[in-house]
Amino acid sequence: MATTNTVNTKEGFAEIKTAKLSTLGFFMALPPVLVIILFVGVPIFIAFIFSIGYTGGPNRVISIIGQDIYTKNSWWGTADAYLAVFRDPRFMPDFILTMVVTFVSTFVVLLMAMGMGLYQRIQGGKVASILSMLSLVPLFVPVVIAAYAVAQFYNGVGFMRTFMSQFGVEFPIITATQNAIIIGTIWTSLPFAILMITSGLQSVPNALIETAQDAGAGFLRIVRTILVPLAFVPIVIAGTFTAIGIMGSFTVPVFLGPNQPAMLGVEISNFFTAYNRPQQSIVMAFIIFTAASGIAVLYIWANIRSAKQSGRI
Amino acid sequence: MHISGDINIQKLWETIIIPAFEKEYPNYKVNVTFDRNGLREAQLIARITAAKATRRDPQVDIIEGTGAILTLSAGNLLYRPSPTLIPNLKTVNKLLVKQAAGGIPYRASTVMLAYNSAKVTKVPKTLDELLAWIKANPGKFSYNVPSGGGSGNSFVQTVVDMNLTPDERVRMSLVEDKEIQKKWAKGLETLRDLNKYTYGKNGTYPANNVATLTLLGTGEIDMGTVWSDMFASAKAAGTMPASMKATAIKSPSLTGGPAVLGIPINGKNRAGARLLANFALTPAMQNEIMGNFLKGIPVISGKLLDQTLFENFKDIDVTDMRAPYLAANNNELRSQWSLNVPGK
Repeated sequence: MATTNTVNTKEGFAEIKTAKLSTLGFFMALPPVLVIILFVGVPIFIAFIFSIGYTGGPNRVISIIGQDIYTKNSWWGTADAYLAVFRDPRFMPDFILTMVVTFVSTFVVLLMAMGMGLYQRIQGGKVASILSMLSLVPLFVPVVIAAYAVAQFYNGVGFMRTFMSQFGVEFPIITATQNAIIIGTIWTSLPFAILMITSGLQSVPNALIETAQDAGAGFLRIVRTILVPLAFVPIVIAGTFTAIGIMGSFTVPVFLGPNQPAMLGVEISNFFTAYNRPQQSIVMAFIIFTAASGIAVLYIWANIRSAKQSGRI
Repeated sequence: MHISGDINIQKLWETIIIPAFEKEYPNYKVNVTFDRNGLREAQLIARITAAKATRRDPQVDIIEGTGAILTLSAGNLLYRPSPTLIPNLKTVNKLLVKQAAGGIPYRASTVMLAYNSAKVTKVPKTLDELLAWIKANPGKFSYNVPSGGGSGNSFVQTVVDMNLTPDERVRMSLVEDKEIQKKWAKGLETLRDLNKYTYGKNGTYPANNVATLTLLGTGEIDMGTVWSDMFASAKAAGTMPASMKATAIKSPSLTGGPAVLGIPINGKNRAGARLLANFALTPAMQNEIMGNFLKGIPVISGKLLDQTLFENFKDIDVTDMRAPYLAANNNELRSQWSLNVPGK
């Protein structure tokens, strides 16, 4: 009898404690959630209804001031602003440029970060540590300074041109081109990817690699069948965060990109201020948002996959 | 106080006029909001309009910047300047006050054609000659993106204005007119044809006024459109070589005009705003505007000014400058330019 009693008490005690903790947890999570709802959720909602033509209420002033505003013509609103953006001859080249820069830069960043991470994991040693430390320096340089520096390096009187002309080589001016944006975004996104991927690769146990080596596996086979699968989640996180960051970037393309086509981050700002077309700029923002959500799905999928493997769900 | 202009205007107010004003009137303190190149003018106008509609304080007492003031004036949102309340306004040319349309003119500036006198032998005198020069000297001319600064904006406006009658040009500076906007097409085509001849030869343009000056200063281009005051300050600061000179062109001329101050009708501290506007028009401050780093064009009667400084400015007629477009027309022109010109 006595034993049953103890068990009962213990269970009851545990139940009370869990209930208390979950209420506490709920209130601890409340402030950030409220802040997000108030300062992010509500403005996004207002912006969205503005983009489909609800020009009254909180959107009244901006619809008085803005040019080319489309007002709703049916109960659910209007798609005219979206159609206007899609029909604008600037939009497609802008969108293509944004996508090309995002994919090329993310691919190169992942490749370089993998190289760095593998070198440190397999080779190790002092040189590898120094190199990986140096590769993190751009993390501490403000983006605007980095963009300006890259611009100065490649412009008409920049280092590359003056240096090459010493040998009679006419180096092209690559500022104001798509390539300059790609160089700039790689420069600024690389440190975070290296940080993620290096730590992911470091967490792979040595025993596994050594066993594979004993069994006669070559370098590429170890990378393909052991390192990459085990560090898969950090690699996907690095990739998605890099891609989302690049897609919405502003400073690097504004300093280094061509006037037209511009990346969408820059074009949104042009439409909002210089051309005074707030509705169209909001439409473009929702298009970037949709594209970024596509990438975020990949991130969630990778997380669920790893949770399943470790038996959490 | 809201300032829209380039950094030289910010420096004028923050380092010269405001400190002197606060010294003279110690019970006033001026808070400055700086809006580079007037990119947020639309939002400023929105704030004042909204404040008027909801009867609240627009949180701005005085505005520097021509574009916003013209729009506000058209919407009857400006406090009309009167010489009884701003006594120094009496010393300003009456026609200029009229042209300022409700604003208070306090200095003038104009866009000019800067050129390297060591390289350019025959200086263009008209827009046609300038366009011919650009084509004859590929890669040696540039103007900045119209949404990035007034000097490039002025060049674009001047080229599209070539195909407009003088009456239509005046109309574009006063009201939004979609019919006249259609006549820009030919001018935009002219600008697109210049892509192969401007700096870089690939249809890319400097981002703002300063970027054009840098290209001129390093000798990468031999000709470009610049603000008269920014060019003069760059020369005084030594970033612009002595061989660089500036000239005006004709038919049509590049745009310019008075820079004005505006007092919103619903501002909370209108008395302080009037006092500051009046102070900017004192001979001491006008001497600072033309003599100090800014090299701006003074607006008050020449007799009251320092004669040695005024020497360089006495031939300039501030009442005879070509007005820039109304904000709504100009926004449309910037948008049309980006659609039709760069990278094509």
